[in-house]
Amino acid sequence: MDAVIRKIEVLGPGCSRCQETYRVVRHTVESAGLSCEVTKVESYQRIAELGVMATPAIAIDGGVVLAGRVPKTDEVRSLLGVA
Amino acid sequence: MSAPPVAGSALRSATSSGFSGRHVAALGGALAAWVAAYLALEPATRWLTARALGLDPGTHLGSAVAFFTLEAPKVLLLLTAVVFLVGIVRSFFTPDRTRRILAGTRESVGNVLAALLGVVTPFCSCSAVPLFIGFVTTGVPLGVTFSFLVSAPMVNEVALVLLFSLFGWKVAAAYMVTGLAIAIASGWAIGRLRMEPHVEPWVYDVKAGTAAANANPTDWPGRVRYGLDAVRDIVGKVWPYVLGGIAVGAAIHGWVPTNFMASFMGKGAWWGVPLAVAIGIPMYSNAAGIIPIVEALLGKGAALGTALAFMMAVIGLSLPETVILRKVLRPPLIATFIGVVGAGILVVGFLFNALF
Repeated sequence: MDAVIRKIEVLGPGCSRCQETYRVVRHTVESAGLSCEVTKVESYQRIAELGVMATPAIAIDGGVVLAGRVPKTDEVRSLLGVA
Repeated sequence: MSAPPVAGSALRSATSSGFSGRHVAALGGALAAWVAAYLALEPATRWLTARALGLDPGTHLGSAVAFFTLEAPKVLLLLTAVVFLVGIVRSFFTPDRTRRILAGTRESVGNVLAALLGVVTPFCSCSAVPLFIGFVTTGVPLGVTFSFLVSAPMVNEVALVLLFSLFGWKVAAAYMVTGLAIAIASGWAIGRLRMEPHVEPWVYDVKAGTAAANANPTDWPGRVRYGLDAVRDIVGKVWPYVLGGIAVGAAIHGWVPTNFMASFMGKGAWWGVPLAVAIGIPMYSNAAGIIPIVEALLGKGAALGTALAFMMAVIGLSLPETVILRKVLRPPLIATFIGVVGAGILVVGFLFNALF
């Protein structure tokens, strides 16, 4: 199983909740020492392509794992498979 | 910058266990404390203003302080309880589920359902565009989508709590019913007007995915946590507006002369309602800040319909929202949207002025 995460997308048009989510994800990735790419996606096309209707949302390697709320650090850690 | 480890481990244990006795006890304790605080409020504030501060309620300062010390904690208490309960209700509804319900309905029934689901589906105005795309690309009719988009921001729990605590249940119920009616009627009208060509064409070209993650909890501890998150999120955000609005309201109560508003927001002035709507549309304030001010103005001779119309225009139609929607809607459709909803608000304003 290739469990290595390559790309994390934080989806949201730029409201404060989306920025907060981006901050939590970035922080979690950095503190866990992961080497994946974290991007903040503001394009409505991309958000729609992923089937997201409630922002903020998080997609890992193109699969949506969370939508419609700001996650806590703990939650992001378990989504990323960080113990 | 790291999360406190204690809170983190408590969260994990709450996630893994079911509804334990400890949870029930905590909820029961919170409920008892809430009821006690609510019942003690009126005697406590009367004691505070009259005895502790020695203020005569007949004076400017006395009536302003009495208003603030009673209304501010009362509104915050009610808000906390209602936002928590609505949060639990919302944990049963996701935008995805709402879309599946709406995609299979006929237009008129769809408008009614969409307006009702707009009240209970979690919605934040910054996801208006993704939600719009998700709806129209999967077979929800344009007019039905608009019924949802009008009702979701306008008929919200914060507005209803404030209306209930400041005006009583009749006005709150009237606001809810007429707000839903406007959402149903304007969505229906936009559907009849065949506005589909005025949606930006790229919207229909998007290969919209449908595999959105189920973000909502499915067990009771999860739902309670969802409700508590809603309280922290919503009450945490609106409390400064509530206090600010009530403070301005208190000042109006204390110092603005009675019947001051009657000349330009009273029943006699037929142009009061259109003027209130025209001023309200470009304004953007959440319900929390505007309602206490409206309540105070009513006491000074403003007419209920005029005040309601102003409030609906401020909450339901806002400049930032139309700027966001411009990404997916062409100007004719935006103009129709504002025109139709604005007309609905005018009707409500005149109706209430005639009835009350």
